[in-house]
Amino acid sequence: MEGWVWVCWVISCLLLLSISSSGESTDHNRRTERISGSAGDVLEDDPVGRLKVFIYDLPSKYNKKILQKDPRCLNHMFAAEIFMHRFLLSSQVRTLDPEEADWFYTPVYTTCDLTPNGLPLPFKSPRMMRSAIQLISSRWPFWNRTQGADHFFVVPHDFGACFHYKEQIAIERGILPVLERATLVQTFGQKNHVCLKEGSITIPPFAPPQKMQAHLIPADTPRSIFVYFRGLFYDVGNDPEGGYYARGARASVWENFKDNPLFDISTEHPLTYYEDMQRAIFCLCPLGWAPWSPRLVEGVIFGCIPVIIADDIVLPFADAIPWEEIGVFVSEEDVPKLDTILTSISPEVILRKQRLLANPSMKQAMLFPQPAQPGDAFHQILNGLARKLPHGRDVYLKPGEKVLNWTAGPVGDLKPW
Amino acid sequence: MLKQHVPRRGNSFTRQNSNLDSSLSTAVTVTTTETFLSIPKSTASIFWTFLHTACCIGSLIFGFRFSRVAFFLLFSSSLSSITPILHHTADVFLPTLSSANHTAVPGSRVVVGRHGIRIRPWPHPNPAEVMTAHAIIDRVQKEQRLQYGVRNPRSVIAITPTYVRTFQTLHLTGLMHSLMLLPYNLTWVVVEAGGVSNETKQLLERTGFLNTIHIGIDDEMPVEWEGRHRLEVKMRFKGLREVRERRLDGIVVFADDSNMHSMEMFDEIQKVNWFGALSVGILAQTGKSNSMLQRGEKNEPEKGNHPVPVQGPACNSSQRLVGWHTFNNLPYAGQSAILVGDDATVLPTNLEWSGFVLNSRLVWKDFKDKPEWVRDLDEIEKNGDQFGNPLVLVKDSSFVEPLGNCGRKVMLWWLRVEARSDSKFPPGWVIDPPLEVVVPARHTPWPIRVPGNLSAKLSSSVSSGFARAKRI
Amino acid sequence: MGSDYRSKKREILWKKSILHFSLCFIMGFMFGFAPTTTSHQSSIKPHDNSVQSTAAPITTTVEASLNSTEIDEDDEYGTPLILVTVTSSINPFKHTFLRRLSDTLKHVPAPLLWIIAENRLEAGSTAEMLRMTGIMYRHLTFNENFTDVETEMDYQRNLALKHIEYHRLDGIVHFADLSNVYELNFFDEIRDIETFGTWVVASLSANGEVVIDGPVCSDSKVLGWSFNHSGVTDDDQSPLKLMSRNSVSGFGFKSSILWDPERWGRRVSETESMASINYVRQAMLEDESKLMAFPSDCSRIMVWNLHVPRTLFLGVGDQLT
Repeated sequence: MEGWVWVCWVISCLLLLSISSSGESTDHNRRTERISGSAGDVLEDDPVGRLKVFIYDLPSKYNKKILQKDPRCLNHMFAAEIFMHRFLLSSQVRTLDPEEADWFYTPVYTTCDLTPNGLPLPFKSPRMMRSAIQLISSRWPFWNRTQGADHFFVVPHDFGACFHYKEQIAIERGILPVLERATLVQTFGQKNHVCLKEGSITIPPFAPPQKMQAHLIPADTPRSIFVYFRGLFYDVGNDPEGGYYARGARASVWENFKDNPLFDISTEHPLTYYEDMQRAIFCLCPLGWAPWSPRLVEGVIFGCIPVIIADDIVLPFADAIPWEEIGVFVSEEDVPKLDTILTSISPEVILRKQRLLANPSMKQAMLFPQPAQPGDAFHQILNGLARKLPHGRDVYLKPGEKVLNWTAGPVGDLKPW
Repeated sequence: MLKQHVPRRGNSFTRQNSNLDSSLSTAVTVTTTETFLSIPKSTASIFWTFLHTACCIGSLIFGFRFSRVAFFLLFSSSLSSITPILHHTADVFLPTLSSANHTAVPGSRVVVGRHGIRIRPWPHPNPAEVMTAHAIIDRVQKEQRLQYGVRNPRSVIAITPTYVRTFQTLHLTGLMHSLMLLPYNLTWVVVEAGGVSNETKQLLERTGFLNTIHIGIDDEMPVEWEGRHRLEVKMRFKGLREVRERRLDGIVVFADDSNMHSMEMFDEIQKVNWFGALSVGILAQTGKSNSMLQRGEKNEPEKGNHPVPVQGPACNSSQRLVGWHTFNNLPYAGQSAILVGDDATVLPTNLEWSGFVLNSRLVWKDFKDKPEWVRDLDEIEKNGDQFGNPLVLVKDSSFVEPLGNCGRKVMLWWLRVEARSDSKFPPGWVIDPPLEVVVPARHTPWPIRVPGNLSAKLSSSVSSGFARAKRI
Repeated sequence: MGSDYRSKKREILWKKSILHFSLCFIMGFMFGFAPTTTSHQSSIKPHDNSVQSTAAPITTTVEASLNSTEIDEDDEYGTPLILVTVTSSINPFKHTFLRRLSDTLKHVPAPLLWIIAENRLEAGSTAEMLRMTGIMYRHLTFNENFTDVETEMDYQRNLALKHIEYHRLDGIVHFADLSNVYELNFFDEIRDIETFGTWVVASLSANGEVVIDGPVCSDSKVLGWSFNHSGVTDDDQSPLKLMSRNSVSGFGFKSSILWDPERWGRRVSETESMASINYVRQAMLEDESKLMAFPSDCSRIMVWNLHVPRTLFLGVGDQLT
């Protein structure tokens, strides 16, 4: 039975390949392939002229001062909130006239509160966010006009605007009620999840572009690792029983494949981590506590086909990037069959995935470079926002109409920041 | 590290159950439909046959699934006791169900809470899959070469002087393995001193590639290094004549058997237009007893990351050839090796041939487009100029194209390690008669089965055999 | 009467259909059983049992349906080779020799896993060289410093053996010395090793000596050992000492001896780790009956070891203009 499913799958893959190869660009440079997602060929779009963003001028205690307190936030997985702010300040889409703005941006660094170990503490984030929104709603008229429906917020934390690192609690909390109508830009993405609002823009986690650039090796370096992974399999500290962390998927990877020479997997982080990814064919991107991981970005940058093990994950810029064609999706349940799944992919399909990965616009879309470059993740966010325009009628509220309940949510969140 | 992991068998069971349910429900429908016999007969019979088949298939699947369940139970009980699994299933379903309430998100398969760590009952890598994976890796690497490798590569013609000696197998095998890896068409011209021997022939047969031209030269290899250098030059010219006569087209490299080449070098030489020069790393040995190194003498001052001395083209800042790096022989004055195999430093000549590559058309007779700065082989040999250095091939050395980032990148290494010319080794490296037993095997469970002649041989300590001869 | 006939007909129909269904059910049952029986049998092998016994105590097993083609014999596919190369920090020819060795290993048919151990300080440039080879390798690094080369090399070998033990890699382990040269047939031959294998190694050194160490054998059974015994005192005559004194390139063994010693009838001692070169040497010499020598008459030399001479570096050569 399963065999037939596989046969069908392989056949469909081949079909897909033949369709796509007929559409392949005929110019001599065949190393890469064009990428088009459900929204079309939009990766290389230029957002300039398609939208205008107004940046609220908040007191520096909401952003700059926080960064001054802990500069480690600049290299953190969540640094997108800081760099997005910097990017918008000098971006051509920025407008100083709020009347002509399509989108309003509130620069709050809610995840820049790190423990001594560098882990983000989101406990104060909800209060900080509320405080910022209260401020803009009292000082400017624009929030009240829509109650946030033409505002976007960057919330790159594990479970986005649910503001908690434990999924269970994050789900109980739900998205901060005052953000109910706003558009969220977040790394977290999982279908049918309380913490993923419809219309949110899922972005890649921040990975240091210069550091990755410094570790690039020649593209002709033969790929000699079949499957590569470095990271935790068990989080004994936070999950002594096992089975909670990564929903057991990482532990399953270890238990089933540690003895397989094709699986170069370990908890040790070698100096050649980035280089090794560039000589691997498949890089495992299993969920951890959250469904996403920086390996996704690393895989794309280093041309290693990401093997995504995170059921119902929503991937970055999923309407612009056909992740199904680029990566390999393995359901958490099928982890024990990983070897069979990966070896049954035909070489042609693998080569095509590699060509798609080699597309520079694909790599560009995963990075937040300084200074910004055309087609990078900043531009993809703007493209995503531009694709939501023009705003629908339901965005603007009738005078006096109120949707938000300012007193909803946990009592602790209502305290002043 | 491993904690007790609670299984999550829900999925595999639910799937079986759903199958079971569907086949049961079809069975139920059968009973109901059969009462409707008032339906016109022909339609009814068609319908009946159809239903019958459908049900047959249904029970087939049911049987199949059932066997799986039976097998599954059998299997898991044979692996580990089934009791803990059953015992823990209760625990499994509880958190799973309770956490399902937490999520309260319809349509999602993902459940918050504790999950089982799935471990499959077939633990080892499947050899067939391992082979498929390796085939995939090969395919990917091939594609990488296609995309990033040299486009429209020219053939490579390697000229190798050799002769039968103790180190020949060791050196020539190493070179052979490197040459066999070349992704280009290769013609290997092997010139042997003392005439074509069976020993060398057998070695070359192991390559498995056909393009080997094995020719001999009558002169015997002299035992002095100086004489060897001269004869090797003569042999290389013999090789070049072979190229000329056969009008072999490609890039000529002088691959000495004891040299070591990196694969990058063979890519790099594809850039040569007419006559190119490469840097050669000189792995020179000192004359001190080598046994000290094996035993690990640590306090030598030379240890560390000193760059290997390099012989090859020297460029100025604007990447133009301005001269040559040569090996400084002075520190070795008076202590260099004279005889092959001397326990002393073997020094390279002024400029080693292996550092030069050329377009084979340069040596062709009557090649129209040949540049005028090149000298003809006949002319060189008539004047006896060949023993100078490889630059005798050109009238003006400024036409030499420096390769490897203008000589900065070392891609081949010159090493001369030889046994003494009078050292003995078993012909063809086949030991006959057998070696002398120094220590008998501890347990010899087959003393009676030892053939008479063999034990006699062993006991007579093989005075005439190789075992003695090897320790001169 | 009509109803009687009908009921009779119905009865026949019922019987017929039930018979058909049960037949189909049995067929399906058989189908379900047929392919998996092989994997079932294979699971009884000590092989698989051992793995299960140490796996997490309670785990979910997944249907083996995908794996109906499991093969219990490696004949068709070739046993995996695990080659271990250790690098002495004082060997100045290290990279050059590694490169030559990699050229040879590139010809070895898959599956092959090459394990290289090296001091972390020197690993950077080696890694750069290794990744151009295209061979499937694992580069293990360590921080410890050593004053004695033999100790360092043994440490590195143990490091590699620990890796094999920890990952339960299955295959034939052989220590491929940096300065070894191999005849390619050798790699086919060692795949036949059942427990331990041994062969003769020719050591060549530049001062003109050719030393041949290894087993003397008949019909693949070891009769005794031959080696260079100059400078060996009578106290040293135990095979264990002599073997460890001589090249480790002269033997190979099944890796499961490291992580599944019970399978080979060896008791696990509390004090000694399985994954050590001494353990392997001991295990091999304690039970020579499990040693397989090859080729069957030990007559052909397929491995040469070049004793690296001391080198002297003078810095970059003079420049002529």
